[in-house]
Amino acid sequence: MAAQAHTAQQSAALLELRNIQKWFGGVHALRGIDLTLQPGEAYHLLGENGCGKSTVIKIMSGAHAPTSGEIVLGGESFSSLTPIQSLAAGIETVYQDLSLLPNLTVAENVALNEQLVNANGRLARLFDRKRLRETAVRALAAAGLPTDGAFLNTIVSDLPLASRQLVAIARAIATRAKLVIMDEPTTSLTRREVDNLIRVVERLRSENVAVLFVTHKLDECYRIGGHAVVFRDGQCVAQGPIANYSKKELAELMTGRSIDAQRYRTGKPSDVELLKVDRLVADGVRGMSFAVKKGEILGITGLADSGRNELAMALTGVAPATAGVVALDGKAVSVRSPAEAIERGIGYVPEDRLAEGLFLDKSIFENEIALIVSRLANSLGVVDREEGRAIAARLSEEMRLNTRNLDLPVGALSGGNQQRVLIGRWLSIAPKLLVLHGPTVGVDVGSKDTIYRVIQALAEAGMGLVIVSDDLPELLQNADRILVMNSGRVVAEVDAEQATEDQLYKAMLTTTTETLQ
Amino acid sequence: MSVSRTDELHGAAGQSRSFSFGEHVRRRPETITFLLLVAICVIVAVVNPAFLQPSTLIDIGRASVVMGLFALGVFIILAAGGIDVSFTAIAAFTMYSMTVLVQSYLPNLPIVVVILMATLGGAALGIINGLLVHHLKVPSLIVTIGTQYLFRGFLLSFIGTVWIMSLPPQMGAFGRMPLVQFESANGALITLPFYFLVLPIAAFGTWWILNRTLMGRAIFAVGGNADIASRLGYSLRTVHVFLFGYAGALAGLAGIIHVCANRQANPFDLVGTEINVIAAVVLGGARITGGTGTVLGTLLGVLLIVVLNSVLVMVGIPSTWQRLVVGSFILLAAAFFVTRQRKK
Repeated sequence: MAAQAHTAQQSAALLELRNIQKWFGGVHALRGIDLTLQPGEAYHLLGENGCGKSTVIKIMSGAHAPTSGEIVLGGESFSSLTPIQSLAAGIETVYQDLSLLPNLTVAENVALNEQLVNANGRLARLFDRKRLRETAVRALAAAGLPTDGAFLNTIVSDLPLASRQLVAIARAIATRAKLVIMDEPTTSLTRREVDNLIRVVERLRSENVAVLFVTHKLDECYRIGGHAVVFRDGQCVAQGPIANYSKKELAELMTGRSIDAQRYRTGKPSDVELLKVDRLVADGVRGMSFAVKKGEILGITGLADSGRNELAMALTGVAPATAGVVALDGKAVSVRSPAEAIERGIGYVPEDRLAEGLFLDKSIFENEIALIVSRLANSLGVVDREEGRAIAARLSEEMRLNTRNLDLPVGALSGGNQQRVLIGRWLSIAPKLLVLHGPTVGVDVGSKDTIYRVIQALAEAGMGLVIVSDDLPELLQNADRILVMNSGRVVAEVDAEQATEDQLYKAMLTTTTETLQ
Repeated sequence: MSVSRTDELHGAAGQSRSFSFGEHVRRRPETITFLLLVAICVIVAVVNPAFLQPSTLIDIGRASVVMGLFALGVFIILAAGGIDVSFTAIAAFTMYSMTVLVQSYLPNLPIVVVILMATLGGAALGIINGLLVHHLKVPSLIVTIGTQYLFRGFLLSFIGTVWIMSLPPQMGAFGRMPLVQFESANGALITLPFYFLVLPIAAFGTWWILNRTLMGRAIFAVGGNADIASRLGYSLRTVHVFLFGYAGALAGLAGIIHVCANRQANPFDLVGTEINVIAAVVLGGARITGGTGTVLGTLLGVLLIVVLNSVLVMVGIPSTWQRLVVGSFILLAAAFFVTRQRKK
């Protein structure tokens, strides 16, 4: 009976991976993965960065070939897939980097692939513009995006990040997908956009489309429901309905150790005022006044369009303020550029670490000492590499980097380790104030833990920290106070120890005319 | 999606619909090229009305053909994020080899076949470029610097270094064949040569490939981001081979037209003019980093350079100044495009 059920299930399976192994050079990334995906089901692929999640989805989408093992797709067995084979079988992937072509229009990004797949990858074909438009309109409407001509013809690099994410999702549902893989789809979405995405997912499932999520946001996984698939070190360590696991159990399965979701903040700020911001005005910021003490951690949150991002960039000279005063240690300072900010002792860990913060093809060593090369150089401008290496080694140790090889390019590290390198770089010049913008976006549970401990240690040492984030548990666990922004202004200030997530959400959605209890 | 977010996006779309000159220039940078061209023509025409004579305009048209063909090839490669500096060597190689071949071995070869063989020969050399770029995974600038030396070295070492002053008759005849011919006011015979037609045909063909075929969209996709394009299922190998083959074919065609038009084949010719052509394409609004640009812009860039070459003399500026002017234009136009992009 059981055997019969098993075969029945097998024949109905959408996609099956059997004993998939993958080696990258000497690294054993996947150690025998067995995974069966059923139509219309939702799966949450969970695990720390570097556990093999990305590799497995790249094997499904045809970007990587497995070293050994079998892929069964629609009853047919393959040893590896090409992107076209995978797409033709209805496997659509929304990659973490979105994989949008920045120079093409929204319509082309959404609907061109349909024609490529129909042509079986052959390029000597006419390009059907009418069909492109029809498919794009249909898909954009399904994803809740505008469908007018102006939006269709917008060049993707002109769109804000959140809309790009929705465009990438629209592309995935543009064709008759059978499986939609989403690699961290909600990292740059606001709560409202996440609600919309969840509706899209429900509609897909009702049309018998399977959805595979790769995410670090467990709350969203519980909201969506379905199956949890937990990876650790290239192996699948647990599979089952997600409702059967508690958050704590999942975190332990992912890391192999127990992690407490306790409040990290234990210290107290000093009484000495470090930063005073008075009526700061910038693009999207309409007169912000607040202060940060030495050793204090100030959280700032709000919706994506609340001005929180612009505030972070104004404070650090990335997009300088147009009016207002920033005073550090009681003295008004000008921060017209990142270089000036650094000179004044203001450090910035940007939200998009890949594009704005790291030299991906350079080594850990070179990234760590990027801010202090001039200090390491002698009068002839020759850099003391020995001292630099010693400093880089110390910083990596402090940041608990999981590699000892400082010559590894940063691009080869997982998201969590990249962020540690970036924060470590700032430690090299010991700024007075460190502004962290989304410090754990796309970072796994284990790395989060390390980063939070480092943030606390920095505050303990007297540094002032501003964390700009939409990860509310992160702010509640780490900050002393939290400012909630809306329309470029502060609409609420709460004590992080007493506040709740609901209270913050309410404040985020409050307009300035209403007042918070 | 919540109502407000949708409204916001609709609003943003509405904003981009409202006409603004800055926005227009940002999306169509060749507008600037066009305005520059018009401004120069107006100034020159005011200073020296002789500029508007048909003979000057026909000279400009004739001088645009070879550079225009080269520029179309450079543009299509630039659109895919690559760069080619070997096209002049390809042109020199095919034009000289074909001339030698026709003169010494196949004197009765019809001109159509000569042109076809030169074009195919150029395509073959271009495909070598494409395969090398794809399989060596070396930036195309380096590959084509290498092949420029190789093609030219092979030509001079094995095919010949002698300047051929008297062309095979059918080639000379093709160079002189008129498309339009009329007598000017002073009685001189003015001829727009037949080979001028090749440029608009090649331009239309290139436009058609880029805008009406999947290959064209693939070229821009690869220019936007090659890794992503390959992940989405575009075959980089096919794109690379096609691109360089196509640019090579245009170079071969340009080479044979160059010979026929000048009525002599100089194996040392053409190589060294690459930068001039790349400058024209960049002035036409294509970004050197790839993924953007239009055929129309490329043609305008070519016209701008050709006009500068020929008119500076007419307004009494020494021809040695041409480089200074072109250089400043490139810097000005580039600075303008970049500030427009940053403003966004």
